[in-house]
Amino acid sequence: MTCAEMEILLADYVDGTLHREQKSALEDHLGGCASCAELARDAAGAVGFMERAPGVEAPPELVTRILFEITSGPSRAVVKPHWSRRLFGKWLEPVLQPRFAMGMAMTLLSFAMLGRFSGIKVRQLTPSDLDPVKVWMAAEDRVHRTWERGVKYYESLRMVFEIQTRLREWAEESSAQPAPETKIDTEKK
Amino acid sequence: MATATVGQITTTSAWFGCPRAAAWTREQSLNADSQIVERCLGGDETAWEDLVRVHTRRVYAICYRFTGSDQEAQDLTQEVFLRVFRSLKSFRAGEGSFTVWLGRLTRNLLIDHYRRTKLERMTDSIEGQLPMIEERTAMSARTDGLVAGREASELLQSALQKLSPELRETVILRDLEELEYKEIAQVLNVPEGTVKSRLNRGRAELARILRRQKVVV
Repeated sequence: MTCAEMEILLADYVDGTLHREQKSALEDHLGGCASCAELARDAAGAVGFMERAPGVEAPPELVTRILFEITSGPSRAVVKPHWSRRLFGKWLEPVLQPRFAMGMAMTLLSFAMLGRFSGIKVRQLTPSDLDPVKVWMAAEDRVHRTWERGVKYYESLRMVFEIQTRLREWAEESSAQPAPETKIDTEKK
Repeated sequence: MATATVGQITTTSAWFGCPRAAAWTREQSLNADSQIVERCLGGDETAWEDLVRVHTRRVYAICYRFTGSDQEAQDLTQEVFLRVFRSLKSFRAGEGSFTVWLGRLTRNLLIDHYRRTKLERMTDSIEGQLPMIEERTAMSARTDGLVAGREASELLQSALQKLSPELRETVILRDLEELEYKEIAQVLNVPEGTVKSRLNRGRAELARILRRQKVVV
């Protein structure tokens, strides 16, 4: 075995993955070549030393830093979120903030408590309430009621009442005026 | 004399454990990586988080061992992941493992960084800091040459900085990050024979540097 051949096999020899025949041939060479023996001894020594050195661990905050950088930092455009999130996230993002969620929960709680103390009974929803006919009729009834209420409110307005009164007076005046003309006509005849 | 020297060499057959188990673990890791990459490309945001959590340690360790600076290693690790996110679409599972692709990306960034900071290093006080570390560690090693733990890690760190970038990256990838020779050859884009040759020279050089610091290797 030559020194060049030994150098190719040395890494596997130090790793302990060399075949038996190659290993014995290499050891024979090392026995007769001082420079190769020194190289082999140094290489094995360095590997042994590196085994004694503990592995490097990344600082725990590094992962958080990288994730922040790619999701919220200046490079957030790098990671493209899911299409649904891109579509609705823009509008929902402010609402989904913790302070808004908390505010919403408190509002609901306040209304629930007010309803309870003021005696409003919330009826349990039943499957029959979801019947389309029933839903349609309820909606129609609600629309009629709302319309009637709106009309009544409109007519009760002071300004509307005054305008309507004035219009009625004008209408009466205009219907009263043609009467004398007809009288004159009959007199001429 | 040479025979006696040979007798002192302790090979590391138990280092990688059972080869079949190691191969199985590697295959499992490859599958897991492929699944995460698929999910990332599909727009799953949690997959990005998984990708960062799984690979940060290795990328940081390579950067830290190569640069010798925690801050630089953190910045470079972040830069590596930003590049991963920008160019993940260019990764094809059939062309090699994700580890190799990530390793190549990290290595290219480190070499860029090495070239960029070469002038700074020549004028900076890094050279002045190394003798201080050596002196401090050599003093403690004088009483007992066999060092281990944190002290060994510091000594190794200072010794690695004295290796040329080619030898340093090869030693880091093989001995500290335990990549296969084939993978290292793909990462460095050199033949396997060159990897082994560099590794022998890197290891031997490292042992000589350590011995100069009165460390038993």
